[in-house]
Amino acid sequence: MGAFVRQAAWILLAALIPASLTAAFHPRRPVWSQETLAPGEEMLPTILSWEGSVLWVDARSADEYGAEHVPGAIPLNLESWDQLFPKFLDRWTPEKKVVVYCSATTCELSREVADRLRKSGISSVFVLKGGWEAWKNRK
Amino acid sequence: MNSRLQHPAWPGLVKLSRVLARIALGLLFVFAGVTKAYDPGAFAIEVERYHLIPWMLGAFLSVYLPWLEILVGVLLLLKRFEQGALLLITCLLFVFTFALASATFRGLGIDCGCFGKTFATTGTIFPLVRNVLLLALTGFLWLDF
Repeated sequence: MGAFVRQAAWILLAALIPASLTAAFHPRRPVWSQETLAPGEEMLPTILSWEGSVLWVDARSADEYGAEHVPGAIPLNLESWDQLFPKFLDRWTPEKKVVVYCSATTCELSREVADRLRKSGISSVFVLKGGWEAWKNRK
Repeated sequence: MNSRLQHPAWPGLVKLSRVLARIALGLLFVFAGVTKAYDPGAFAIEVERYHLIPWMLGAFLSVYLPWLEILVGVLLLLKRFEQGALLLITCLLFVFTFALASATFRGLGIDCGCFGKTFATTGTIFPLVRNVLLLALTGFLWLDF
């Protein structure tokens, strides 16, 4: 067993060399500090990488939704849940990832709508970190 | 002793199966490593989505793990440092299986991230089953030692 462990230790050490080069020079290396994501929260770049499999849900007021929203997003908020949820179900399919957003990081509406969706049996529900502000400020 | 084990062709078949298992496992690890080494930043986000470790540790793993996978895969294929490579592959598979089981149990609804963005929509249940099968394959290779 000693040989197994000794060899494994050498391999672990050897992997540090390309890993260090990656950390220093790779054009797509990770950033070393990051705001923590709350459970169920996702960052915009990750969501954009899901491409066509996303169903956007706008948890803001009808006025804010009417003024501007993520293309293809459907409105859904707790006040008009009974009217809007059936419309949501018309667009939802189980393979889609549902991403809820409200105005900014500080707003709680998206979390509340996401919780209600999960309780209604909808799987794969996420909250956009930073909300509409993050979408507007995307590069 | 089972009579089938005494058949003259049996040891040859077992040996051939082990060679194929070693090549399959080696190639799989090299492939998994290369797909993640291509975009470590994206892999760091995949790791973060498991909500198991702090971001800094995930960022370190996102640059280290792909190369470790490539290295153990290549060594297994070349039959160099084979014992150490097999030990690490087994440990990695146990860790990956735990992470996938944990994500499935918590209903995170995330993708495996096992092959970077190559297969981005596999969920966690299929990779979990695949990992258990790979562990069985690894166990088969352990019989050589």
